[in-house]
Amino acid sequence: MKLLEKASRIYLLASLLIYLAVGIAFFWIIKFMIYDEVESRLMVEKQDFETYIRTNDTWSNNSYFVENKIEVVPVFGKVDNRVTFTDTLIRNRYEESADPFRQLTFHTLIGGSPYRVAIRKSMIESYKLIEAISVAMVAFLGLLLVSTFLFHRVLSGKLWKPFYDSLSRIKEFDWTKNKPLETVRSEITEFNELGDVMEKMASKMQHDYRSLREFTENASHEIQTPLALINARVEQFIQSKDLGETHTYWIEEIYHAARRMSRLNQGLLLLAKIENQQFTEQEEIDLSELALNKLKDFEDILQHKEIILSVQSTASFRKVMSPALAEILLTNLINNAVRHNYTGGELRLESGNDYVQVSNTGNPLKSDPERLFERFKKESAGAESLGLGLAIVKQICDSYDLQISYHYDEPMHLIRIAAK
Amino acid sequence: MKILIVEDEKGLAESITEYLSREGFVCEVANTFWQADEKISLYQYDCTIVDLTLPDGNGFDIIQTLKKIAAATGIIIISARNTLEDKLKGLEIGSDDYMTKPFHLSELNARVKSLIRRRNFGGNNDMTWKDIRVNLPARKVFIRDIETALSRKEYDLLLYFLSNIDVALTKESIAEHLWGDNMDSADSLDMVYSHIKNLRRKIVEKGGKDYIQSIYGIGYKFTAP
Repeated sequence: MKLLEKASRIYLLASLLIYLAVGIAFFWIIKFMIYDEVESRLMVEKQDFETYIRTNDTWSNNSYFVENKIEVVPVFGKVDNRVTFTDTLIRNRYEESADPFRQLTFHTLIGGSPYRVAIRKSMIESYKLIEAISVAMVAFLGLLLVSTFLFHRVLSGKLWKPFYDSLSRIKEFDWTKNKPLETVRSEITEFNELGDVMEKMASKMQHDYRSLREFTENASHEIQTPLALINARVEQFIQSKDLGETHTYWIEEIYHAARRMSRLNQGLLLLAKIENQQFTEQEEIDLSELALNKLKDFEDILQHKEIILSVQSTASFRKVMSPALAEILLTNLINNAVRHNYTGGELRLESGNDYVQVSNTGNPLKSDPERLFERFKKESAGAESLGLGLAIVKQICDSYDLQISYHYDEPMHLIRIAAK
Repeated sequence: MKILIVEDEKGLAESITEYLSREGFVCEVANTFWQADEKISLYQYDCTIVDLTLPDGNGFDIIQTLKKIAAATGIIIISARNTLEDKLKGLEIGSDDYMTKPFHLSELNARVKSLIRRRNFGGNNDMTWKDIRVNLPARKVFIRDIETALSRKEYDLLLYFLSNIDVALTKESIAEHLWGDNMDSADSLDMVYSHIKNLRRKIVEKGGKDYIQSIYGIGYKFTAP
């Protein structure tokens, strides 16, 4: 839920509750005041009535013009001394309706005999007043609610605008590029502070990324150059005519070790680069088509090892990724399938719209298949294998949200790369 | 043929110089960016070998200057950086080839020769050694003037040998020349062996001598017996 929407909802709910409580309280207060007023007037009339009785000691309903105003009824038996107020409805003389009255009931002696006296006052005007006040109040409170709600919406929209603008810039920010992050400046200190912090963090990220990138490049250069020197010197050395058998053996070993080290270094650097997301170039690549193209590079070796190749491509598997990494991914997969194959074996390439699968014949795994994609996991102790090929494949899959799975279905080893 | 080698690692520059000098090239070395800058403005070279990472500058700048003042010079980049971007950038600004360190001197030699051939004769020439003649544009091989059918890889192999006459070539450098960098396995060395066998057989069948000499443990040498 968006911040503004959430704030509006809370505001709306809270003000509704508050206004409702205020409305109800107000209604009761007005009602109480009106009753208080009516009752004190009834008390005054009671005093008038008693004064009249004391002087005249008699009462006639005729002397009172308005009907039902004062009702005097003789009572028998025990006389109750309580004075009570009650609400009552009295039928209207002219209309077929009952009107509300407030009634004061007390007992008194007229001419020595007990009577119950009820003095009444019509509440019809007061009720109309309460009604009018209530309607007016509800209308005003509603208006207030709507207007403050709208005001609040517009205001917070305006206040938070720099925040949202900055947010969208932060979302677009790419630390692999050189363009610095610029947040939106506003009058609000907190937003500016947030912007400052974000800008600082962004420039630190860019800086770290750059130095990491430079480091991997420099490390590569620093290690490859001496290796190039060893290689070159060995090549010069083997040109001499008088090399003994032991010498050639040693020199061959040195040459091999240097080449292995160079490959190892390149492999590890590649892993580091993938981890650091240094392959920023992206384009849509058809992995099934690319796999078919890559197979052409392996024609000679397939022929040499008499491997039977079968291709089953039903659809193109499109994926947006770095073209360089896509090539490495498929080359390593196919290379792996060729290297661990035996003469006269089989290599199968299958692909559909969301997967590529390379399977090959080969001896069953000696180690745990779970650890197949770990670095330096070698099946054969052969010096040619570095144990990085599948680790690189896994790393590429991880960084592009591809799922890689291994399955052994005797005698085929299947490696499947599928979209998640 | 004059070649300028721009490389800050002195030992490597020395190795390249020695190796290429044996092949009859006149080599000069620049160890720094400024030396290189000075040399290319003073002299003319047929080919320049440039390392991209120099202590006082960037190899790309040298290439750009070279392209301005001597467009006919062939340029080969040798770099430890093996990113696609660097390779593309190198080719974009006018270099002819890109080699990643570590490389084989024999491979560098072959590429320098092929580059100079392309530059000087527009690639339209024959290559002759003893009784072998190769027509490069048609990719045809004649042994004692008899056309000999070679497979694509055998042809590449022969050309590699002809660029490195009398030079001991390692099996690895041959494998890498034929199948590229990412095919490093025992299988490819086996393949080198079988291709060499076939090539040797085809040359001898047409009456040529057995020029391919095996060097125990190391590789092969193409030489007059």
